[in-house]
Amino acid sequence: MNWSTHLLTEFFTAVNAAENEETAITHAVQRAVEMVEAEVGAVVREGKVLGAYGFGPAVPEARLRAVAAGETLLDVIGRGELYAVPCPLGVEHADALIVARLDEPFGPEERQMLQGMAQVLGLALRSIRVLAAERHLRAEKERQATSAQTRQRLVESLLTIQRAISARRPLPEILDAVTSGAAELLDGATVALLLAEGGQDRRLSVASTCGGTDGEPAHESAARAAMAAGSVLIRPDSTGTAIAAPVRVTGEMAGCLVAHLPGGTEQHTEQRDQLAAFAQQVSLALTDARTVEAVREAHHDPVTGLPNRALFLKILNRVLASRGTSTDPTSVLFIDLDRFKAVNDSLGHEAGDQLLALVARRLRGCVRASDTTARLGGDEFAALLHDSPREAATIVGERVVSAIKEPFRVAGREIFIGASVGIAISREAVEKPESLLHNADVAMYRAKKEGPGRVRVYESFMHSEALDHLSLRGDLQRALREGEFRLQYQPLIRLGDGGPAGVEALIRWHSPTRGFVSPVDFIPIAEEFGLIVDIGQWVLETSAQQVARWRREFPDLGLNVNVSGHQLVHPRFADSVMRALAIAGLPSSAVTLELTESVLMSEPDLGKAALHTLRGLGVQLSIDDFGTGYSSLAYLRELPVDELKIDRAFIARAELTGEDLALVRTIVELAQILGLRTVAEGIENAAQLQALRGLGCAYGQGYHLCRPTDPEELPARLLTQLVEDRVTRPRT
Amino acid sequence: MQSIPHRWFGAGQSSAADSAKAGAEAVVEAIGGRAPKAVVVFCSVAHDLRALLAGVRAEAGPDAAIVGCTTMGELGNSGMTVGGVSVAALGGDGFTVHTRAAHISESDPRAAGAAVAESLRGLHDDHKVLVLLCDGLTGHPHDIIRGAYSGIGATVPLVGGFSADDRKFEQTFQFYGDEVLTNSVVGLALGSDGPVGIGIAHGWRRIEPPMIVTKSKGAHIYQLDEEPALDVLLRRNNFEGTADEFFDRGRPLQPLGLSRRNGEDIRVIHAGDDEERSVWGTADIPQGAQVWLMEADRQALLDGASWSCTEALARLDGLAPLGVLAFDCAGRRAGLVEGGMDEEIAVMREALHGAPFAGFYTGGEVARIRGASGLHHLTLVTLALA
Repeated sequence: MNWSTHLLTEFFTAVNAAENEETAITHAVQRAVEMVEAEVGAVVREGKVLGAYGFGPAVPEARLRAVAAGETLLDVIGRGELYAVPCPLGVEHADALIVARLDEPFGPEERQMLQGMAQVLGLALRSIRVLAAERHLRAEKERQATSAQTRQRLVESLLTIQRAISARRPLPEILDAVTSGAAELLDGATVALLLAEGGQDRRLSVASTCGGTDGEPAHESAARAAMAAGSVLIRPDSTGTAIAAPVRVTGEMAGCLVAHLPGGTEQHTEQRDQLAAFAQQVSLALTDARTVEAVREAHHDPVTGLPNRALFLKILNRVLASRGTSTDPTSVLFIDLDRFKAVNDSLGHEAGDQLLALVARRLRGCVRASDTTARLGGDEFAALLHDSPREAATIVGERVVSAIKEPFRVAGREIFIGASVGIAISREAVEKPESLLHNADVAMYRAKKEGPGRVRVYESFMHSEALDHLSLRGDLQRALREGEFRLQYQPLIRLGDGGPAGVEALIRWHSPTRGFVSPVDFIPIAEEFGLIVDIGQWVLETSAQQVARWRREFPDLGLNVNVSGHQLVHPRFADSVMRALAIAGLPSSAVTLELTESVLMSEPDLGKAALHTLRGLGVQLSIDDFGTGYSSLAYLRELPVDELKIDRAFIARAELTGEDLALVRTIVELAQILGLRTVAEGIENAAQLQALRGLGCAYGQGYHLCRPTDPEELPARLLTQLVEDRVTRPRT
Repeated sequence: MQSIPHRWFGAGQSSAADSAKAGAEAVVEAIGGRAPKAVVVFCSVAHDLRALLAGVRAEAGPDAAIVGCTTMGELGNSGMTVGGVSVAALGGDGFTVHTRAAHISESDPRAAGAAVAESLRGLHDDHKVLVLLCDGLTGHPHDIIRGAYSGIGATVPLVGGFSADDRKFEQTFQFYGDEVLTNSVVGLALGSDGPVGIGIAHGWRRIEPPMIVTKSKGAHIYQLDEEPALDVLLRRNNFEGTADEFFDRGRPLQPLGLSRRNGEDIRVIHAGDDEERSVWGTADIPQGAQVWLMEADRQALLDGASWSCTEALARLDGLAPLGVLAFDCAGRRAGLVEGGMDEEIAVMREALHGAPFAGFYTGGEVARIRGASGLHHLTLVTLALA
């Protein structure tokens, strides 16, 4: 019969009912002692003996401390030696719950139960301490603020900080609130919070400052002095008065809050007391942060400090369950960042995390204090809006989009990202939190599909679309794994002599379940799910090997390969390209990478280094779909571009108008000035071909010249092409 | 020449209707012409308590410490009484007596226990014991005992009982000197140069299967194994009727044993609520606890009484007992109806080899020799002095 399990439940109930540390310890020791029929017990905490029970007036403190340190016998006057067992209250300190028994040593089951009790007590004590610190602080506030006005300001300032603490704001935010609050209260003082780092030298680092510059040496010296003294210090220095108030975390000296004010020390006694109150706040914030660490790990995202998916769903569930009427609308926003993966890949995870933290901060700024924001994972966030009908939620969604569109400053550079927002609004009286969040997710996919920076509200038809979208992702993964992709090649023709200058590799996917799927449909999804890097590499390797073989017959044949922005910003992109070429035995000068104008425009900085590296190694760069983006000619100067491909839109009309021709001529002339090749895409008839030749465009591509062709047929087509073109070439 | 014994103990009883007379009669029998250091008085709440104490004082003299309390029945060598008085007296140079009383505060019942434990201060005899007489209706019996234990520690044993008011459960009284107190604890710290022995035994046994207290608050049990507690008790006793019928006419009390390392800690359930389907007793029953219904037959209870006395005497280092204070649970009376009480007294007389004894039927017993728990129910606690 397992008597111990039930005793643990009883113990838990008794200890958790306690309102202060003393009561919790008293109850815990007494219950533990009674439950194992021991004679005596005590808690040793931070070196102090507390709740000693069964010793009468003479508590053997030194011997109890020895037991806490591992001794297993306890000598009690009048009773002789007792079997003792110390049970740690937590992992960090030598704090322990001790019980000792006269008649027999403790068995394994009893020890295990006692360990459990000690852990329960440790948790209870830590949470009580946080509450006690809050109460203590209120008492401090009352005592210290002398003038009514100052008291009011102090209270307001401390309340702000307390709200931040109880709202589980990220620690840096709380610490900033402390320093700025202190600076404001102390009338323009510069305030710094210095915290001791781990390690032997206990270096002090500046955790937060307000006014002045970071880590002034004067601050550090005052901080060290106050920490050594263990009390508030006020002393004159060359420019005024320094006040330093030590900060403790669970009794341990952890750092110092330092203020610097003009004027002599004698006028600042009140400020000294106020700073001491703020130091208490920091202690509280840090203690609280440690106490809730375990809880936070389970419920909060460590990068942003926001609730995680599990907690968000819990909150959502609570909100849905507590709605006054079934018609109170609750809205869920599903926010997905655009281009975040590119930042993470190119600048590293640390920068990515910084960016996420900044995004989280902006998101919180977009909603009311009573609303909940969360990080669901990756670059996905969510917001829960109370009592928000469709219109209000949409406005918040648009606010989020424009807030995220503003540049972020990360790792010393400006980062541009975007956000797509899906909104789901609860209508049912009974609504599952998971399904509401899922619907918002579905709406977000729809928004994303329509283009960057959109906000869409969920409608039931979106559901089947989303299902298809998700299964497409799975199919793509399989396609890559099972080799369902293949390549076709479309020649680039020299318009001057009709000879093939090179071929463009074009990916084709014939899915066993879906049939032929256009790259227009699957490439965005591959990009979205990060599959594009692997797919792009496969295209590069396969086509390089193919063209290397063809070059035995057509020695000058070049290869054009399309590159996604996601590949470009991959940290090993340049290496991957060069490795593929080396394996294939294709000279780098035979390869032209095609990038779309929109990719270059949206991330002007990203990938620039890789492109310059590749250009340095001889690889050429082409701007695909030129003229369709928001053209900035600046990048043509900054990037190592060799070729412009004039978008088919300019030459798609069966008969080109004067306007079309004027535009194409401009591009061709521009290219000539910059020393770039021009390739006209989409030549579909002889008239277009004729016109482009006339404008001086050097190269062309299109059905009229040669359709995309399977590799086995291409050599024959290249030969035919040469012949046919010579035949049809107008005589001059 | 009459020699004054180094230590002596006497007991006396009275069934006189007049309170002053009853007190005087009993104490005269107990002191037998000797000058007592302490007089312990147990009597029914039906008496005029002040008159009774005045009668005791008149006979015991101004120097005797008087302690005591009201009961649910009194016992002594002459038998058991209801509405009577039973007195123990002790004296001689070998005994030292200190007394203290403390009011039990609702917010801090421990403090009262700790305060009376102070009576041990300055007591330097070889053998010590603290006798506690506590109000039995405060609802905090555990905390009072814990308070006392925390004050004195493991070196001094504890005995005693919780006062009662027959079966009214309204108000009980404690005696301290010439004062009649209520809601209080009275402590008698007894030092002796001779050994003291304590016996604890009950005679109840578990009825399987055990149950889990799935909902409780304080002394109230709402659910056992997630079923309304009253329903469980009625069903397991094959009883059909209301809670009042069950507790007043059927089974006046239901012992519940809480699972403990070396057996069980017994609680007495004595009432129930038909609306709430809840039941309750006098001490808290923690939620999550594993409990058994307990049963006893007459012979097992009598064996328990015999064992308690034998155990107390066995701790007297082979010396003959001078006398015994007995704290017998009122609940045991219910198991010993129809002549059983007389049998129990006969068993005690025999087990104590004719030594004088006095005691009362309690609302809970106190005894701590080892471990830290000192509260008992349905138990006979005996304190033997040699």
